Amino acid sequence: MNLLRNLVRATILFSLGSALSVLYLEAAEKGQQIVQLSIGTILASNETDNFDPKLSKLKSQLEVIKYRSYRLIREDIQKLNWQSSATFDIPGGRSLIVTPEEYRNDRLFLKVRLLEGEKPLLDTRVSLRNRGNFLLGGPPHEGGVLILSISAMTQ
Amino acid sequence: MKTQCEEIEKLIGAFLDQELSQFEAERVQSHMQGCPVCSKEKEELEHLHGSLKGLFEARASGLAFEPFWREVHRRISEQKPWYVDLWDGFRLNFHSPRLTWTIPVVIAVLLAVLSLEQFVPGWGLMPHRNNVAAVESIDSHGLNVAVLRESKTKTTVIWLFQSQEGEDESSEEPSSSDNTF
Amino acid sequence: MSIRAAVELSDWELVQRCQAGEIEAFQELVARYHHKVFVVILGILNHREDAQEVAQETFFRAYKKIRGFRGGSAFYTWLYRIAVNLSIDFQRRQKRNPMEFRESLDDVAERQEESGRDPFQNLQDKEIGKRLLAAIKELTPDHRAVIVMRAVEGLSYKDISRILGCSEGTVMSRLHYARKKLQEKLGPFL
Repeated sequence: MNLLRNLVRATILFSLGSALSVLYLEAAEKGQQIVQLSIGTILASNETDNFDPKLSKLKSQLEVIKYRSYRLIREDIQKLNWQSSATFDIPGGRSLIVTPEEYRNDRLFLKVRLLEGEKPLLDTRVSLRNRGNFLLGGPPHEGGVLILSISAMTQ
Repeated sequence: MKTQCEEIEKLIGAFLDQELSQFEAERVQSHMQGCPVCSKEKEELEHLHGSLKGLFEARASGLAFEPFWREVHRRISEQKPWYVDLWDGFRLNFHSPRLTWTIPVVIAVLLAVLSLEQFVPGWGLMPHRNNVAAVESIDSHGLNVAVLRESKTKTTVIWLFQSQEGEDESSEEPSSSDNTF
Repeated sequence: MSIRAAVELSDWELVQRCQAGEIEAFQELVARYHHKVFVVILGILNHREDAQEVAQETFFRAYKKIRGFRGGSAFYTWLYRIAVNLSIDFQRRQKRNPMEFRESLDDVAERQEESGRDPFQNLQDKEIGKRLLAAIKELTPDHRAVIVMRAVEGLSYKDISRILGCSEGTVMSRLHYARKKLQEKLGPFL
């Protein structure tokens, strides 16, 4: 009786462990086929001293740049496959094209192009940690400058 | 009466084992004096105890001390390899089923926790480490660009310099002589 | 140290002599407890040869660990604890059916005749013995352990709880359950 009960227990636990392992591996494999890009468009200026509460998570990063006020203009999120491109509208007739190229050693490699109309302003290839971000700033806008917070994650 | 019998019946064994408090023992004794059912239960248990004792003593009889001690002494005199002792010690101390099944349960729980990260984006066991982004290549198409990394937050900043002509009066950023925008 | 002198020493005094390296003191402890330990183990394992093997191993382990015995509990509860743990461990490891019971009452009776004792003298009928053995087979090792330690060795609930590492309430409920099961099997023979 004890033997049968122990066998049942062992079978249940082993099955549970195996099922969880399979789910975990499947989810991990599926997740890495999709990249989620988040672009936060921020207006930095010295006209006021206001700090947009929506930017609280980026506060310590933005303080590096030492403007007096920061306001989140828009936030865009797009999900796409590797090697595909996502285009984001940036104020001032600009656009940002981001192409996730590869994922290696827990880092995402992105190709980033900033355009003003048809004119390329910047082409860069950046590697960042999964769920990490970097800032791209400088284009002038409405008495201040635009700062783009570009982050990427693969699920 | 029936309810009291059920209650007392559970205590008769402990009564015979002399494990009840004086109050409880007197209560059981007093009940049994007036209850033939419980009184019979006590007799049956006493008979059972007697039979058990006789049976076990019979089964265990005939165990001679001298050969028994010889074997124990032989084991004491022999030296076992340290790893056999270690393994025996492990088995002896970790025989409990609860402990045995702790290991697979812990594995299953760990897998579940790790799996959560896949189903709940942003949820993670460890806080984000090192946010350093590395600029692999850059082409500003003739414009001025600076790549900065702040040491405290490890934030990478790519900054396109505004031209001197288009410089905002309130801007504190260094300006460049080249047209950028 | 002569055997005569050893008889007058307490268990703790013998333990201390063992700790000092006197194997004769340990021999005396074995002499005092080998039968009691054997009875308990036999009650759990239901197999004479296995019980003998485990009983010998119990004393061997006790000797190895005796330097660590500080006298916090009685020597016999410490010894029984080793015996019960080893028995349960042995039961789990053995490949044969743990419920196998090859010893018949006739074998027991024969052995008793050889040793000059007849413990079935007080039994009204051999049928009681057969039924008892069959009923004991169906108990778990934990239940067998409590019933043997109580019914045969007369250990207190406190001692049994210390040996098994459970509460006195658990000992009481296990005993009640075991007795009920045995009573059911014995039926009208009690």
